[in-house]
Amino acid sequence: MSTTEKSKKGKPGAKSYEEIRKKIADGDAVVMTAEEFKQFVKSNGTKKAAAEVDVVTTGTFGAMCSSGAYFNFGHTDPPIKMQRVWMDGIQAHAGLAAVDAYLGATELDETNNMMHGGAHVIEDLVRGKAVRLKATAYGTDCYPRKEIDTYVSLRTVNQAVLLNLRNCYQNYAVATNSSSRTLYTYMGKLLPELGNATYSSAGELSPLLNDPYYRSIGIGTRIFLGGGQGFVIWEGTQFNPGVPRTPEGVPKRPAGSIAVIGDLKQMSPDFLRGLTFTRYGSSLGLGIGIPIPILDEEMARSCAVTNDMIFTAVFDYSQQSRSRTVLKEISYAALRSGEVEIKGKMVPTSSLSSLYKARQIAQLLKTQILKKEFMIEKPVQNFSLERVFKPLDVRTEKEAM
Amino acid sequence: MKTKVVLNFNPELANQPITHNLIAKHHLMVNILRAEIDEIGGKMVLELSGKADDIRRGIDYLKHNGVGVRPIKEGVRRDDDVCTHCGMCVSICPTKALAYDPKTGKITFTEEKCVACGVCIDACPPRAMEILI
Ligand code: SF4
Ligand code: SF4
Repeated sequence: MSTTEKSKKGKPGAKSYEEIRKKIADGDAVVMTAEEFKQFVKSNGTKKAAAEVDVVTTGTFGAMCSSGAYFNFGHTDPPIKMQRVWMDGIQAHAGLAAVDAYLGATELDETNNMMHGGAHVIEDLVRGKAVRLKATAYGTDCYPRKEIDTYVSLRTVNQAVLLNLRNCYQNYAVATNSSSRTLYTYMGKLLPELGNATYSSAGELSPLLNDPYYRSIGIGTRIFLGGGQGFVIWEGTQFNPGVPRTPEGVPKRPAGSIAVIGDLKQMSPDFLRGLTFTRYGSSLGLGIGIPIPILDEEMARSCAVTNDMIFTAVFDYSQQSRSRTVLKEISYAALRSGEVEIKGKMVPTSSLSSLYKARQIAQLLKTQILKKEFMIEKPVQNFSLERVFKPLDVRTEKEAM
Repeated sequence: MKTKVVLNFNPELANQPITHNLIAKHHLMVNILRAEIDEIGGKMVLELSGKADDIRRGIDYLKHNGVGVRPIKEGVRRDDDVCTHCGMCVSICPTKALAYDPKTGKITFTEEKCVACGVCIDACPPRAMEILI
């Protein structure tokens, strides 16, 4: 990354966070969705775009497995130190203080019923439904109670907070299947003999693809999360910025990701859904939108990236290995066309992330900023570009040291 | 004219050439949309096309032979409140009844094109597609 905060000072068109924030507060900011901005740049160039546009809004809605919510249920009388907790039959992790628990989106019940996992319970809560809470405990002098069976809702709990460790992947793979049987994967239903190919990124609308080196998306960035407002709190797990990139710097493989937090009580089922991937499990369909401040021309150039300039790799999911061979690289423009050529065959494509909802989110975020309901934040700390993504191998204690 | 029917029959009937007779004796085109047959009987969803009179006679023939016949307006339905327009179904629907509309970004469902094959049912992550039998 060449531009630093210092070097751009005084450059024509360069703006500071403070200036953009003031414009938003005064109702004077020029805000465009990522799609509108790309059109604007096409007709007017990046220089004019950098001078005239203050914020670009991005959006994505897709399956985000590494999600979950924590709750504080309040204290019973006599009190209980919950050791095992179930919410509508799905176990929540309770190895925390007495009445706190974390419910993971992909958690299933003991029968592995995939139609109703942790994500579905979170959706039910967001829909305003009551959820059956059961807890057991061993009982202590200070927490004598040993079990409870009751109902809770977002109205009754103290905190209900969405806390996701890895969301909003910057680019993702394309999955296909050359074997002779249908594969059921987290990339959806993959028909045999290269019968289809699925991909899972909003492409040019996707937040991190518009800010490839995480200049404005970092710790403390305020985001649209599931219909409410939340924050980026850390790099996402498996953060991997060192993957191959295009000359413009756009990663060609899954690269960055973000850990996020937000109040579940603000969220809406329009942007938060329990999903079932047959024979894989449950996942959370989640909408995220991130505003990108156009600080200078370099930022305008990043946000001008279009689907024909964003590439990803096609993998054969019948190859059961963590390092599958890349079949080919392909652009999102090609994927969006509905058919791509793989091994000499025209293969129909499916997106797993909703372009319709991604657009809706970018539009909503734009409206919220224009109405002064959403303020952009300067990251308090940027992500490290040095992170590497390590595998897990079977090793001895000594080898692990 | 075209019509879709659900047939219910007992095991003995499962061995009779019902669809063959519909084609040969009643001059109907028969498209089998779905068939589930086991030891306690069977269920089939057929699309019959032909002259209105022939279809009526064909259905009478089925009823006369002890087959339960129930006409259906549609085999598969989409719950639009549940659909997130992700597009997973687009590449697996064999008839393009589910298709991407680049103008709106939405996934459209064209009932007339749907042959009720059912492959989209378990592929839809929020489970928006349902079979009406
Ligand atoms: S897979 Fe389901 S949710 Fe996705 S577009 Fe098709 S019907 Fe809608
Ligand atoms: S039932 Fe078959 S034809 Fe009808 S929409 Fe689903 S996949 Fe397409």
